[in-house]
Formats: sequence, structure tokens, C-alpha cells
Amino acid sequence: MTTSPGTVIVAKDLRKKYDDITAVNGISFEVRRGEVFGMLGPNGAGKTTTIEILEGMRDADSGDAIINGINVKEDANAVKAIIGVQLQQNAFFDNLKLAEIIDLYARLYRAKVDPVKILARVGLDHRKNSKYAELSGGQKQRLSIAVALVNDPVILFLDEPTTGLDPQARRQLWALVKKIQAEGSTIMLTTHYMEEAEELCDRIAVIENGEIIALDTPDALIDQLLATGFKPEKRVREATLDDVFLNLTGRDLRD
Amino acid sequence: MKIYLALTIVSLKMYFRNRQALFWALFFPLLIMIIFGIMNFDGYNAPEVGVHDAAQNDASRTLIQALRGGDNEVLDVSTGTNEEIQYELKFSGSRAAIVIPENYGVEGELAVIEVTYDQRFMQERAVVSTVIDQATDALFKEFAEVPTEFRVENSVSINESFIEGQGQGFKAWLIPGISAMAIMQTGLFTVVFTLVRFKSQGVLRRLKATPIGASHFLAGQLTTKAIVVVLQTYVLVIVGAIVLGVSVGNGRIGAWFDLTILALLGGALFIAMGLAVSGWAKNEETAAPVANIISMPMMFLSGVFFPLSVMPDWLTRWSQYLPLTYLADGMRAITVEGASITTLGSELLGLSIWIIVVFIVATKMFRWE
Repeated sequence: MTTSPGTVIVAKDLRKKYDDITAVNGISFEVRRGEVFGMLGPNGAGKTTTIEILEGMRDADSGDAIINGINVKEDANAVKAIIGVQLQQNAFFDNLKLAEIIDLYARLYRAKVDPVKILARVGLDHRKNSKYAELSGGQKQRLSIAVALVNDPVILFLDEPTTGLDPQARRQLWALVKKIQAEGSTIMLTTHYMEEAEELCDRIAVIENGEIIALDTPDALIDQLLATGFKPEKRVREATLDDVFLNLTGRDLRD
Repeated sequence: MKIYLALTIVSLKMYFRNRQALFWALFFPLLIMIIFGIMNFDGYNAPEVGVHDAAQNDASRTLIQALRGGDNEVLDVSTGTNEEIQYELKFSGSRAAIVIPENYGVEGELAVIEVTYDQRFMQERAVVSTVIDQATDALFKEFAEVPTEFRVENSVSINESFIEGQGQGFKAWLIPGISAMAIMQTGLFTVVFTLVRFKSQGVLRRLKATPIGASHFLAGQLTTKAIVVVLQTYVLVIVGAIVLGVSVGNGRIGAWFDLTILALLGGALFIAMGLAVSGWAKNEETAAPVANIISMPMMFLSGVFFPLSVMPDWLTRWSQYLPLTYLADGMRAITVEGASITTLGSELLGLSIWIIVVFIVATKMFRWE
């Protein structure tokens, strides 16, 4: 399998069936080094299954997933060692302190890290002695990103990182994702928030019924839609209700 | 009124769908009722006696049968070598050792039956000696088939002697059984509750995303439980012995080594059982009743709180094969009877077979998510 230089993820005709439900039905795409690649789609479209195949958590029925030149089918553990993973449902040990959780996961990657430095990258260093159960929703998501960073991953996979977060926490997480990208990581994320995709992603794939129905930059996709003569139903205003809320309650996260 | 009725119906639905509440409301009290109901607490309890039959003839076999009594058991007879029955009398629950001589039932010879009692139990001695007198008298006459006028009354004589037994009674009996039960509870319940929680929260899935992975983590978890099981056994036996004032293994230091081995075997068995249950169950709600259904009957049928002898035979015929019975019997033999682990053949075999079976079931049942 040859990959063009600068390509870190290659998905080639991935297929996966659960009993009689086809979750992934022939998905192919490439992710370039250093970009944020988004996968968009409604619940049950096949986003999580696709991302879990790439992470080596699930076997595809057919097709290939190549991560940084390694075929997942051939060496899932080698792939797991170079990627960072944030699952849709994250849970850590209630009675361990954050620094201890980071330390435990670092060992599972045979990585030597300073837990406080890792926590500082996601702005949680001041909570290093807190327990997981004491964190807010946004802090829990940031901790799960911190855990995903312990092995200094080539690619970071984020599965619906902002689902269930309030607007402030969501914006803070976006800033964090941009910072991690600026530090040189490639990021693949799934979301069903369009403004999140527009804000973060260099390119997006829209997925529906296990198939990619569109793949391009957010701007190009919007331009293509407008070119068909599409007019939004409501007059576009300069601000959104989101902006109103943030203006009233403040942009800063209070933690 | 209508709203009240509707809400009550909804609430009843919620209640009956909660399996754990149903378990504690019905299964548990019923189980206790039935188990204690079939125990023979208020009836006559036949004293345990050991018999060594050196004669091995029809006469001696008939005598043993007579000692046992007919449909109503008068003595709880077990047979064995002379050493075995003397040991049982000295250290265990046996109250008399009866040796039937080689010449028992041989015409024209005087057979002397040697009976040894534990002098601390004179009530039992009275029962046993009466039963022996009646049995030998009636049986010898019948077997000899001599006309009444020629019968020799003293063809059988009974020679009684007394020892001071070392058996330490119910208190000492209780400690190893309760410690064995605690091994079961720790192994089964702590494994079930931590693993099922990790599983339902997705912790195990997240560990599977790492290259070293969840199996190492699981091994660490299980090792922790094994360490806890051993430490807990030491604490329970030591505190029990001090508080209840009994000795452990007749003061033999090796008893602690033997206890450690048994605790580890029992720990492995019940941890594997916990692994099987938590591998199968999806959440705490299904895991808890299953763990209870497994552990409750053993708690009462394995001779932890009271000896198996108070249970009907049809039940002990099965309950002797329960894993907790093997563990409790083994630990009791070491702490109470001063036995060494090398003499515990059947207990070790029973535990080993259970460990293998349960491990196979656990590996088949285990699911990560």
C-alpha cells in the first residue's frame, strides 16, 4: 500500500455490518498531516464505527485503514501506540487523583511523562489533586484529552468532544483543539454541531447511512450549496443566540 | 383519585422491574426460611462416634448397623482405622472411639470392645454406652444362635477408658468457616462490583484503546483482590482466635503457611467466579442478584454457621461438593484439627476442579463492553 507523502490516515473502502445493520458501507478518505479533519453526520450515521476502526478498537469486515503507514489490521497495537484516543463515552477511575490517572495511562503506553505538564496543556494543572468525580463536564472532557496526549500522539482522535458542554466550555475546548493542532498534531474529530465543524475543521466529510455523501473544505461546501441557488429561510443576522448567551454570561470558563 | 391510581400503577411497574428490590424482598427471606426450616435444630442430634472394625465379619457389620440404629439414627457412626478414630476423638467433633476386636463374633471367645470417651462430654458418653450395651447384648445372642438356656452372658465385654479431648468446640469451629465465607464474599462481590462498574462506565473500553491494554489492567485488579483475600484471612483468624480464646492449628507455625495456600486457592476460585459474573452482566442491577444467588445458598449449605450434620442427608449429599464446603472444611481441618495441608486430599482436589471449571466458564463469558 502506497500513501502519498503527508498523508497520515488512509481509509480504503471500509465496511462493517452488525447483524443485519450496515454501519459503514464503503468509506474511503485520506487525512493530511497537520490538518483537522471532521466527520459530520446524524446519530447512527456510522461516524463512531468508522473512527473506532481507525483506532484499532473494532475490526472492519473489509477494507483497509492505514495509520501513519501502519495497517491497523496487521498491527493494531502499533497503531494504538502512536495515536491519542478520546472515546465518545469516557470514564476514568473515580477514586484516583487526576495526576494518578495520567500516570496510570502513561504506563499503559510505556511513556514517561510529567503528569502536571500534561494537565497544564489542557488547563487542569491546578486540579491535579482532585478526583475525577469532582470535575465539571468540560473539565472531564479536557481530562480525557489530556489522557489522549500522554503518548505524544501523531494523530488525535476526538469522538464528539463537545457533546453536552455549555457554550463557554465548548469554546474553550475549541481553543484547546486549535492549540494542539498548532503544536503539530493531526486531529480527526466527529461532531454533529455544524458551527464546531466550521470553526475547527480544515476539511469535513459528511456521512449518512454509512457512506460519505460530501467531502471538502467547509467554505467549498457552502459555496457549492449557494451555487445551486440555495437561499436560507431566515435572514442571516450579524449575531446568533449563542453570541447573546456568551455576551450575557461571559466568555470565560469559570473553573 | 384517578391521578393517584395512575401514579401508583406506574410506581408498582417500576418496583417490579427492579430486580434487586425483588431479590431482597422475596428471594432472600424465603431462602433463609427454607434453609433454617429444613435444619434439624430442635430434634435429637445423634452423637458422632468413630468405629474401627478389626473383625470385618458379619457379626461386626451387624453390630455397626445396630449402633447406627434403624430409620431413626441413634449414633452418627463413621468408620476408619484406629488412628483415625482416635484422632477424631481427640481433635474433632467425635465423642467416642469404638474398637471392635478381631475375635468379635468368634464362637467361644471373649471379645473385648474398647471404647474411649472424651471425658468432657459425659452426657454423650451415657447415650453411647447405653446404645453399645443394648446392641451387643441383643446381637450377640441372636448371632450365636444358641438356645437361651446355654447363652454365655459375658462373651462380649466392654472396656471403657477416657481421654481429655483437644477439640475446642463451636467457637473454634466457627472461625475458619466464617473466614472461608469472607474469602467468597471478597472474591465474588468486590470483583463483580468494581468490574461491572468499570464496564458499564466504559473504563474497560478506554483501556482497550491503549497498546498495553485492558488485560494487564485486569491482571493487576485480580492480583490486588488476591492480596486482600490473604490479608483478610490472617486478620479474621487472628482476631477471632484472640477474642474467642482458641488456638490456631494447635499452635503449629506451619498452619499459617497452609492457611495462606488455602486462602489463595479459595481466592482464585471466587475471584474467577466474580470474573464470570461480571463478564456476563451488563450492569450492577443484573450482577448483584446473580452474585447473591450464587453466594447465599453456599453461605448456609457449606457448614459455615452450623455443622452439615444438622442438615438432612439428601441435602448434604449435594452440599458436600460446593466450593465453599471444600474451602471451609480445609481451613477448619488446619485451624481446628491441627491437620497439615498434605493430608487434605479431597478438599484440594475439590477446590482444584472447581477452579478449573470456573476459569473456563469465566474466559468463555467475559466481555469487555
